[in-house]
Order: sequence, then structure tokens, then C-alpha cells
Amino acid sequence: MTTATTALPTPRALAGGGLTAVRRNPLLMVLALMVLVFQLTTGSFLDAGNLRGIATDAATLAIVAVPLALLVISGYLDLSVGSTLALGGLVAGWLAGQQHQSPVVAVLGALAAGAAVGAVNGVLCCYLGLSAFIVTLGMLTAVRGLAQQLFPLPLSSFGSGFAWLGGSRIAGIDAPVFIAALVLLAGALFLALTPAGRHVFAIGVNREAAYLSGVNIRRTPFALFVVTGVAAALAGAIKASVLDSVVAGTSGAGFELTVLTAVLLGGVALTGGSGSVFGVLLGVLFLGCLQNGLTLLNVPTFWQQMAQGSALVAGAALAYFGPRLTR
Amino acid sequence: MTETNLRITGLSKSFGGVQALDGVDLTVPAGQVHALLGHNGAGKSTLIKCLGGAFPPDAGTIEVGGASYPRLSPRESIAAGVAIIFQTPSVVDSLTVAENIFLGQEWTRHGRIDRRAQEGVAAGLLQRVAASCSPRDRVGELPMGQRQLVEIAKALSRSASVLVLDEPTAALSGAESDALAERVEDLRAQGLAIVYVTHLLGEVERLADAVTVLRDGRVTHHSAVAGHTRRELVEAIAGRADAVHRDSPAAESGDVPIGAPRAPRLTVDGLRGPGFGPVDVGVAEGEIVGLYGLIGSGRTRILETLFGRRRATGGTVRVGDRAVTATRPSDALAAGIALVPADRRRQGLFPGLGAQDNALLPTVRSLARRGVRALGAERRVFGALSDAVGLRPVRPRLPAVAFSGGNQQKLVLGRWINEARTVDVLLLDEPTQGVDVGARQEIYQVVSSLAEQRSAAVLFASSDPEEIVALAHRCLIVSAGRVVGELSGAELTEAALLSAVHDASPAPSEGAV
Repeated sequence: MTTATTALPTPRALAGGGLTAVRRNPLLMVLALMVLVFQLTTGSFLDAGNLRGIATDAATLAIVAVPLALLVISGYLDLSVGSTLALGGLVAGWLAGQQHQSPVVAVLGALAAGAAVGAVNGVLCCYLGLSAFIVTLGMLTAVRGLAQQLFPLPLSSFGSGFAWLGGSRIAGIDAPVFIAALVLLAGALFLALTPAGRHVFAIGVNREAAYLSGVNIRRTPFALFVVTGVAAALAGAIKASVLDSVVAGTSGAGFELTVLTAVLLGGVALTGGSGSVFGVLLGVLFLGCLQNGLTLLNVPTFWQQMAQGSALVAGAALAYFGPRLTR
Repeated sequence: MTETNLRITGLSKSFGGVQALDGVDLTVPAGQVHALLGHNGAGKSTLIKCLGGAFPPDAGTIEVGGASYPRLSPRESIAAGVAIIFQTPSVVDSLTVAENIFLGQEWTRHGRIDRRAQEGVAAGLLQRVAASCSPRDRVGELPMGQRQLVEIAKALSRSASVLVLDEPTAALSGAESDALAERVEDLRAQGLAIVYVTHLLGEVERLADAVTVLRDGRVTHHSAVAGHTRRELVEAIAGRADAVHRDSPAAESGDVPIGAPRAPRLTVDGLRGPGFGPVDVGVAEGEIVGLYGLIGSGRTRILETLFGRRRATGGTVRVGDRAVTATRPSDALAAGIALVPADRRRQGLFPGLGAQDNALLPTVRSLARRGVRALGAERRVFGALSDAVGLRPVRPRLPAVAFSGGNQQKLVLGRWINEARTVDVLLLDEPTQGVDVGARQEIYQVVSSLAEQRSAAVLFASSDPEEIVALAHRCLIVSAGRVVGELSGAELTEAALLSAVHDASPAPSEGAV
């Protein structure tokens, strides 16, 4: 009776039902309140230019947060995404800048590197049964080391063709935001409309029972590891394109924790088995707005970090005490 | 007059709008065993939890040893002398027996734990409960029955005067259950007031001095054991007359198999695996065969090996005339063999997922078109399945954890009994463990009709003779990993099963497998 269970997304929930969305995602109200406060204090928070900035910043976060959330729902974890992001950016930048390859080849190269990292994680965690926390913590360091070994010098000037990825607009929307929207949509549809989406929840809730129900408990999480690696590398390529430079030592450092914060703020249970893509979107927007608003208010970076960390702890406290208070 | 040790008066507790306990009275004098019966959800657990201090009651009083409490905290409950032994022992596996007994009340000498003194006292307590383990044994390595005795010893070390046993034999083998019954009798003789929660009427008859039956949070029956019949108790538990044991299907259709031999559906020849075999089993179309044996006899291993959960080391399995080699559950399922496992929480249920997701998990993919779920078809199949198994309530999105034990089992069973799946062979392991009397009958009916209407072969394992007699057409006796006997037709009675197992076990060494 005291067990709090997060409802699963169904097509009906996706289609609408604003009220239910608020009830299930208290973060939505917090987000709205925060936007209001920032608008009142800065006066420029809701300007089109600023919103566009927030969206672009949040885009790379969302691209990685969605597959990571699926992985967490199925009971796994990937801490190596920050390093994979760096590797992806470096490979793409190197191909585009140094090797003068077309932007398409550069991006595909980055994705291949991300897929390779994801496949190593997936084999070790899903097929050999090692702890995802330990494996991906190790890969976090190992991949960063590999990136620095392969690309000891900073890379920059990738050419105008490659700048297209981060700078062009598709249907009036910045390309990174467009890509993030596609990833969010794909994630939500996957969870709600595919059999594998059901398997993700089932494996996260009870692996043994899923196995005894005939579900392939290795293949789906393995695929999610690969997709998470690919997504991290794609985010890296986008960042490289936007900044027109990548540094192996610092690119994406700490990114894994920011993404995980967004995922957990979005209501995905670290123990697996529950969560929604809509929640992840809220988590990503929350972090994006928080960071942007505080920057507009000239709040120093370390205060921003404290705010971000406190938000996660407050979110956990809210999830724990909230249902008790309303009872 | 005996001194009264536990007196609960007018205890009420509600959760949200649900009245879990409604003015419950319960009096247990020192030196008495009081059986507490009722459906899952009847309020037994809530009563125990109020007694243990987990929930504050809304109204009523609890009197222990003369002192009266409107509510108890867990600490006060222990201090008052209440000890609760839950179904699954809550001991710390990595600690020794003595360390477990003194957990939280360690004896110290110069600031260090005085192991020797603890072990000395623990040895005395273990002797008092006639446990065969030593104070230095690691609890994780002990069989279930011994772990439970360790918990009782722990209760005694806190000088408990009221002992609550919550379905203590649910996880025990037959021999262990007998040993526990003797311990309960000893403890009664030592003057403890004992509340004994159980589903098994046999235990009530053997142990209890008085009985209280709860239904929907109220006391529906209260009497000394001598003052009622089994039928009255079942009616008080179920709340209706039709829930009394249904006639054995063996009796109903007993003459059919003889006159019309049906085609074999499952044929197992010389199946072997670690800890069992070789085993030969044949189950015909529409036949329900029971595997009766104690815990550790190998019956679970036989089922799990047929299902591909464990590796076979030899032998052949055929479904119809197709040979089946199942190295994984998915192989067995592809061959038409399904298993309903015994441990619902760990192996069967997805507690946080909705009822429909639980029941249709293996079916979602086969209903899907081009990789996209067929939501309409899923709803329809779930509706039909809910009707077929008698699910209550029919709420597709309600998390499985919110259903009663019986309805959870219907969800797990429903996975293999729906129009979108054809199961040729259904294996069930302890099909009604932790299921109340009413739902038990429904589950038997569902399984029987699966066999009859779809000509499936059903092979189920059970340690409950009553269940074997109620459900099976024919029963194989399993002991030490082998089939040692067979009973069918008029020979298949509870008494025959009990004596068959008794004869079959050569030495009291079960639990080793």
C-alpha cells in the first residue's frame, strides 16, 4: 500500500491529458514556476533568442538522456557517456578537419566510434553479467584516456560543411533541436508502441520473471547500450560542430552526471522499471532553464552547480515525501 | 483462571477509504495457541503490523501482560514482550547464529562484543527450541526450518511473552513443519501466548486451542477448536458455502481415461539433471498429473529442467511426437511448454507493472503487426483472459502489486491461458502457494478447463496433499529426485499420499538436494 508506482506511458497519455500529466509530473509545475520567476526577475528570459539558446543547449542533453533513460528503466546504467561524447566529437572533427572528409562521413565515423564503445559496455554488462556501474565507470576513464592518446592536441576549424550540423536550420528549427525532438519522439513511441518497449519495463522490474516469460533479457539492453553510445557520439559531433573545436581532456567532462541528473529528475527510477520520456524531457528542460536563468542573473558558476545538485536532492525528497503528504 | 497475556479490544484501522480492521477483539491467555485464519486481505497482516508497531491503530487497545497501549512503536512492542516471526525469516545471512540472536542487544565486555558469552547463552536458547545448528554456524548456510528456529530463539532471548507466527510453515518441508509443530507445543507448555497465522486447516486442528477467523477486517468466527467443523471454518473464511472443497476431478471423470485412452501430449524418458533423475513421465492430452513430494525432493528441478530453466544432463522430452531440447525458457515456450513458477514474487510477477502488461508480456510480440503493438487486440485478449481466470478487479492498468495473492497468481496463469497463445503443456509449481481458499478453487477450475477444453497436458508439483487430491487425475510420488510411486483413481487420497512419502523417504536427510 505504501509502494509508489510510476504509471507507464501509454498512447493515451502521449496523446494528451494535460491534467494527468501535471499530477504525474510535479516537475511540470516547478518548471512553470521557475520560468515565471526568471521572466519576472530578468525580463528577458522568454525572449525568442534566449529560448532558442536554451533549446540548443538542452538538445545535446536530451539526445543522450532519452536512450540513457531507457537503459536505466531496463535496470542498467551508463556512466561512460561523457567520455564517449568527447570521443565522438574528436573523431568527427578529425575526419572533417584533418582528413577533409564530407560532413556525412565525419558524423558516421563518430557514430561508429560511439557504437563500438556501447557494444563493449553491452557485451560486458548484458552478456557477461558484470555490474553496469563498475563497467561503465571503468569505461568512463578508459575511453577518456583513449581519446587523449589518439588526439593529444586540440582540434579546430572543421570547415563550413561540418558547421551545418550545429548551425543550420531544418523547417525553421535549429538542427540540434530538430534532432533532439526526433530522438524524444522515437523514444516515446518505442516505449509505448513496441513489444520491445514493454520488455524494457519488464526486464527492469523483474529480470528473472521476464526470462521465465520467454523475453530475451540480453538483446534489448545490449541494443540500448549501443544506442546510448551512438547518441553520446552524435551529441559530441554536434557540440564539435557548434564550437568548431574539441579538446580531448575537457570535452564532455562531467556530462554523464548532468545527463543522469536530468534522467532522475524526470522521474526515472534508478532501480529500474519505471519512468517516461515525457519526464525526461521535463528533466532536461528544467536543467536547461535553471542554468540559463541563473546565468542571465549573473549567478556565479559554483552557485549554479549548487542549485543543480540541490534540485536533484529536493526532487528525490519530493518523490519520497510528496505521496505521504498528500495522503 | 489462566493469566491473560494478550488482549486486543476493538482494534480498527483504515487505509484511505478501506477499512482493514473493524473492531477486532482477540484474547490469548498465556500457554495457549490461538490460530488466526482468513483470506489474504482479510486483515491478518494489518493486525500483526499493529501489534508489532508498524502501523498505529485508529481505535482500540492492545494489552500485553497487563499493560495497556493505545498504540505501539516497534521498540515498545519488543519491550512489551511481543515477538513476530514473519513468513520469510528476517535474519542476516552473513552473520552467525549467535550474532543474529544478539543483533541490536550485543553483550559487551570492555567495549568489545563478548562472543564467548553470547555463544554460551545462544547454545542454551537453541537447545530450548531444539535447533540442531550451532551458535557459530553462518545463518545463510542453514536450511529454512533452522533459520526460523534461530528467529524464535532470538525472540526468547528478548524474553518475549507473546509470539506471533505468520504462516510459519509456508517455506518449510513436511519434516521441518512437523518439527516446528513440536516446538510450538513446547513453547506453549513454557507459558507463551502464541498467535498462529495460517491457511492450513490441518495445522489448526493439530496445534490450536482457539480459532479466530477474519474476513474483510471483522471477526467472522471465534471458537475453541473442538467447537467447530472444518466446513464451518472454510465457510467463515470464504464467506460463502460454495467454496467448500470441490469434488476431485479424478472422481468426476475417473472412468473416462480407462475407456478412452488419449494420445500422449508430454513424454519424458530418462530425464536427468543435477540432483534428480532418471525420471520418466507421460501426460496425456487433457490429463492433469501431480508431482507430490517434500521440499528438496527434486520436483521443482524436474519442472524447471523441462522448461529449460536448468540444463538436463540426459534423457529425452517430446511434446506430441516432436522432440524438444530446451536450453532456455524461450525454447520451451516455442515448443508449447509453459511454466508457472512457485515463487511468484521473484519469478512470476512484475509488481510495478499494470495487470495487462503482466498478463500479456509474452503475447505482446505475437499480437504486434510489423513491430507495432496491436493495442486494440491486446485490450480484447486481456478482457477475455480476465473473464476466463476470474480476475478481480478487472483494471488493466492497476499495478500487479495492488492485487491479492490469488489474483496475482491469476495474472501469471493468464499469461499462458489466452486466445493468442497455444500452450500444449502447462507446468505449475505450487500453483496456489499464498493463495486464499476462494481463489484456490477458481485456479483449479481454470487449470481443469484448460486441460479439458484445449486438450493441454498439465503437470504440477505440490507439497499439499489436499491440493493434489483436488486437482490431479493421477499423481506421481517424488522422493530424492526419483519417481517412487504412482496413485490414481480411488487410491488417490490424502492419507495415501502422506503415507507414500513417509514410506519413500529412507532417511531424514531431505533438504540436502
